Amino acid sequence: MQLTVERLSKSYGRAVRALSNVDFTLGPGVLGLLGPNGAGKSTLMRILATITRPSAGKVLWNGSDIAHGPDALREVLGYLPQDFGVYPNLNAVEFLEYLAAVKGIAAAPARKRIGELLEIVNLTDVAKRPLGGYSGGMRQRVGIAQALLNDPQLLIVDEPTAGLDPEERVRFRNLLSELSGERIVILSTHIVSDIEAVATSIAILARGQLLAHGSPESLLASVAGKVWEIIVASVDLPALRQKYLISSTAHRSDGVHVRIVAEVAPAGGARQLEPSLEDAYLAALSRQRGSSDGPAKGGITTTASETTAA
Amino acid sequence: MRTLRAVLAIARADFLERVRRYSFLLTLLFAIFLGYSAATGRIALQFGEYRGVYTSAWIGALVALVSTCFVSLVGFYIVKSAINRDWQTRVGQVLAATPLSKVSYALGKFLSNFAVLGSMVGILAIAAILMQVFAGEDRHFDGAALLAPFFFVALPAMALTAAVAILFETLPLLRGGLGNVAWFFVWSIGGLGLSEISGVHWLDPLGVRTFADSMMVDARANIPGYKGDFALTVADKPVKIVQSFHWQGISWTATDILQRLAWTGVAVLLVLLAALVFDRFDSSRSLMPALRRSKIPVTMSGEVAIVGANHAANVARTTANLTAVPASTRTNAFGRLFLAELRLALKGLRWWWYAVAAGLLVAQFAAPFEVSRRPVLGTAWMWCVLVWSAMGARESRFGTQAVLFSSARVLPRQLPACWLAGVAIAAVLGAGAGARLLFTLGWHGFAPWLAGAIFLPSLALALGVWSGSGKPFEGLLTALWYVGPLNHSPGIDFTGAANGVHTIHYVLVYFVLTGVLVVVAVVGRGRQMRFG
Repeated sequence: MQLTVERLSKSYGRAVRALSNVDFTLGPGVLGLLGPNGAGKSTLMRILATITRPSAGKVLWNGSDIAHGPDALREVLGYLPQDFGVYPNLNAVEFLEYLAAVKGIAAAPARKRIGELLEIVNLTDVAKRPLGGYSGGMRQRVGIAQALLNDPQLLIVDEPTAGLDPEERVRFRNLLSELSGERIVILSTHIVSDIEAVATSIAILARGQLLAHGSPESLLASVAGKVWEIIVASVDLPALRQKYLISSTAHRSDGVHVRIVAEVAPAGGARQLEPSLEDAYLAALSRQRGSSDGPAKGGITTTASETTAA
Repeated sequence: MRTLRAVLAIARADFLERVRRYSFLLTLLFAIFLGYSAATGRIALQFGEYRGVYTSAWIGALVALVSTCFVSLVGFYIVKSAINRDWQTRVGQVLAATPLSKVSYALGKFLSNFAVLGSMVGILAIAAILMQVFAGEDRHFDGAALLAPFFFVALPAMALTAAVAILFETLPLLRGGLGNVAWFFVWSIGGLGLSEISGVHWLDPLGVRTFADSMMVDARANIPGYKGDFALTVADKPVKIVQSFHWQGISWTATDILQRLAWTGVAVLLVLLAALVFDRFDSSRSLMPALRRSKIPVTMSGEVAIVGANHAANVARTTANLTAVPASTRTNAFGRLFLAELRLALKGLRWWWYAVAAGLLVAQFAAPFEVSRRPVLGTAWMWCVLVWSAMGARESRFGTQAVLFSSARVLPRQLPACWLAGVAIAAVLGAGAGARLLFTLGWHGFAPWLAGAIFLPSLALALGVWSGSGKPFEGLLTALWYVGPLNHSPGIDFTGAANGVHTIHYVLVYFVLTGVLVVVAVVGRGRQMRFG
């Protein structure tokens, strides 16, 4: 089971280049796709889900180009788009039965699977209520159930935890972890903690380019020894923001505790900290901005390839 | 001043949003097509077999009437989305949380509607000027006579259309497909026929009577044996030009002008009424629960608080009992998908829909044969309009394209299942007349029924796929039903009853059209699947 993306590009007209020469190969496991808004994550997901064709490059599913025979991938694909709708007059069971018929799943296993999925996404009690009366989080859970309907080998989920309450969110993370053993899961989000919990590999996308792709450990290693904490007065914070890449701030009685990502220790009694994925993510974005807009803050100037060998 | 700025800002934003859509280009192309049709004589003002010389006044009246009759009919469907768009995009929720008043909002949307329709009238006015130059029947150019009909007749009619569209959008019962059907009758009875029905000359919102009365005076003087015929018509044969018939236009008096502009006042009153009933994007305020807006596609966005990883331990494992679905359980079973599409089409209809459908079915068996095969069958199929109009458009309307189109073999399975579900509905609702035709007239009688039963769902599917909306089909079927089964127009009557000796000829035409429409639908869906 292998998904290969080769020099993938997508342009909308002449002005907008949503993806630019993206390359990676995936085996079973969870790929966490991180990136800011407008990075190209959803475009990449839509191409992988055979909804949109790339402008250049190709996607190979077990060696076959999906542009030439998308049905081979669609047979084993589960897709939860970022924006999706439901038919408001159908209830959850009817909606899933409809999609099971569309996906060509035989009646008996479909019924069994639907019952199990509704239990997993905690909708059994409301399964017979019309979807039009569901809350946003409940509809999102219907979306998760439909993505798992055909027991997919490739599961693509775009911002799946948006709208879920904290408990459902943890439940979904666990579900993804458990499912990942024998399939490829691609999880797109800009919430780093979601990725931290489940991803076996991480890709960072920004402005249509793949900045980094590797294990969480390799990403963390890229900022090892570069994360610092200093304590400053509130009035000094704006100046510090100008100079350094600040990962977080916390106001305490002794001043503002500032978490900084920088090549060298900032002046003023800086204390070195264990890096987090959020630090690594921000550093990768900062490096890209530095390479396109001039020198990056705090001396984060290493290139993506230097820090993120997979 | 602040209110005026708010109204203009709403109108400007809505207008810009529309003109930057591809569909606006089609709207303008439609206006150009109408202008071209008028300029080339395909649409004409006729007095029996005759018409007058194309003077500035004549051309102004002709093209202004083309605007009021055709642009108002079709334009309603084009502009009736201003408020719904704010529901769909959720901009409405943002606006509802501002101090913006309902009146300002409704007036802003009305002005945007009016601007869209007005731009179509503008194109037609330019076409009118060009028409006089190129027709060359009367070299004297009278700008006032040519343009007055646009200012005094066409634009007030557009204001009225724009206002009715806003009113319909605010009324729960009329904001959907029912309103699209109802508009045809409002337009034909209230717009075209009001002055005739009431006998009051000035109750003439579309201006047809106003021009007819003035032109008929000249027609009597210039056309020998003139019997009082007047028609704005799609000319199917050459019209004879009466060279002495030089109509110089209406001598607009202050009263005339006030009567015409009063329709703009009526439009504003309708907008104020709309503001009164507007729910300000709070669907819970709808008086009828079943009509509350529940069909808005869901966009999953926004975030919730981040939960620490330690909470994960509190949530039980979830997938232990999840049954695998191996590839061997995949099936091409078309029957289940057909039944699923049928359920999708019929689910959500109220009990009274089924009651009326059952009544129409019984009437087909019980009524006299000619009544059964003509008005009852036509009405039974017309009753399906809101069921069929969702075909092909449902996916974009409810935002399920991404989920559906990423499934395997959708094009060869789902679309045919949807089409067959539509045909099955036509067959069941028309079963009474169909059975009687078969047993009374044999294959000869049954063939036109079959042609109609497969043609209508095919038309719905093709229009739905390409437009992503039910509106074109709802408007078109209503017009076809009125012109065909109700007024017995050969060829247009989709029940086949009015076709007489040409029945088989029209059956073949309908079969070919059905084939073309199905191909058009398949091509459209294939295109959507390729390009998203």
